Amino acid sequence: MLCEFDYLAPLNLPELFDALAAGGPDARILAGGTDLLVNVRAGLVTPKTVIDIKKIPGLQGLEYNEKTGLEIGAAVTVNQIAEDPRVQKNYSLLVACAESLASYQLRNRATVVGNIVNASPCADMAPALLCYEAQVVITSKQGSRTVPIREFFTGVKKTVLVPGELVEKILVPATYAGASGSYEKLKRIKGHDLGIVGVAMLKKDGLVRMAVSSAAPTPIIVKDCKASDSAEVLAKAALEAIKPIDDVRSSKEYREFMVQVYVKRLLERV
Amino acid sequence: MKITVTVNDQVYIRDAAPSKNLLHFLREDVGLTGTKEGCGAGECGACTVIMDGKSVNACLVLAPEADGAVIRTVEGEAVMGELSDVQQKFMEHHAVQCGFCTPGMLMSIRDLLQRTPKPSEHQIKEAIEGNFCRCTGYQQIIEAVLDVTGQLTKDNKGELRHV
Repeated sequence: MLCEFDYLAPLNLPELFDALAAGGPDARILAGGTDLLVNVRAGLVTPKTVIDIKKIPGLQGLEYNEKTGLEIGAAVTVNQIAEDPRVQKNYSLLVACAESLASYQLRNRATVVGNIVNASPCADMAPALLCYEAQVVITSKQGSRTVPIREFFTGVKKTVLVPGELVEKILVPATYAGASGSYEKLKRIKGHDLGIVGVAMLKKDGLVRMAVSSAAPTPIIVKDCKASDSAEVLAKAALEAIKPIDDVRSSKEYREFMVQVYVKRLLERV
Repeated sequence: MKITVTVNDQVYIRDAAPSKNLLHFLREDVGLTGTKEGCGAGECGACTVIMDGKSVNACLVLAPEADGAVIRTVEGEAVMGELSDVQQKFMEHHAVQCGFCTPGMLMSIRDLLQRTPKPSEHQIKEAIEGNFCRCTGYQQIIEAVLDVTGQLTKDNKGELRHV
């Protein structure tokens, strides 16, 4: 590593918040490490203290209840979601997004919560969580607050989190459990590339809901459509929601074009 | 800080900086240099090891996170100079050229075989999607895995075919 730091592994939340307070702006929370350690190596962050949250038993939970839905603790990995039979049965879109994220060995470490806290526009877990109307439970020394995922992202790599706060868990309500859903993502190669553009679609009863990654400063939700709407109507709704840019990976026009292709493809499959 | 790991059934206790990653810890402190560093950023898979039963990129694990862990690396494949089944098939199918990706590739395959003893071609491809190979074009690696799992047979011209 380019910078030297101390490693702390608190065993409960009070210890964690004390460590965060003591470390101040030079402390970083470590969950899977698949973003943090890449950024440390690149010199983008230079923490003096790294606080591992994986030894806190309360953050390991992955619970499902028919009435209240799914609870994803901060230390739950992306592969745990993808391989859990209860998630597979009830939240197919979460599984599709999870399986599209990086490579198998990376998913063994990367956490679902870490993916949204990193708040990349191309965060793969975000489109699914947006479609399912997930709630983000944010905890600090002062207590907990719950923020809908739609209000969680505020910009490129920016969220509503303030210093001293931890995303303790994500709640995925049971409202859309069992709904049919899927995710299509464009990238140059499978396994080790940032997404160029991604579209998630969830269908339940008369409703079609879509969310798009890598096509705006944040992962973005599209206004609800009807199951009877044509692919053209759905694609138009998606295009109205997104604000893609030209960058090294793709032009704005190509992203817009592929969103339309994916909407059509998903409508046939979902 | 003091870090204890069990690598290929042997216990190692070493003193290392907490900011050191598991890959450098294995290579520099434990002295097992079979595991390679390619990108150092979780993209190429050359540093893949199995930690507590799961494949991970050793470059993205801190050494202190591995304290108390049970790790398997490429050095645990061959026993008393005898190649493991997968290594043997890698050799037979020319699944190695420069060899740089091989240690990580073998560990991803070992992880696959413990989850899926008889993987389909598609499952093999998915299992090694996080491992870059710039020499073989992957096909020989896939054939080696099909062969080691008893899924290749010789046709009447002596050519190998998928069962």
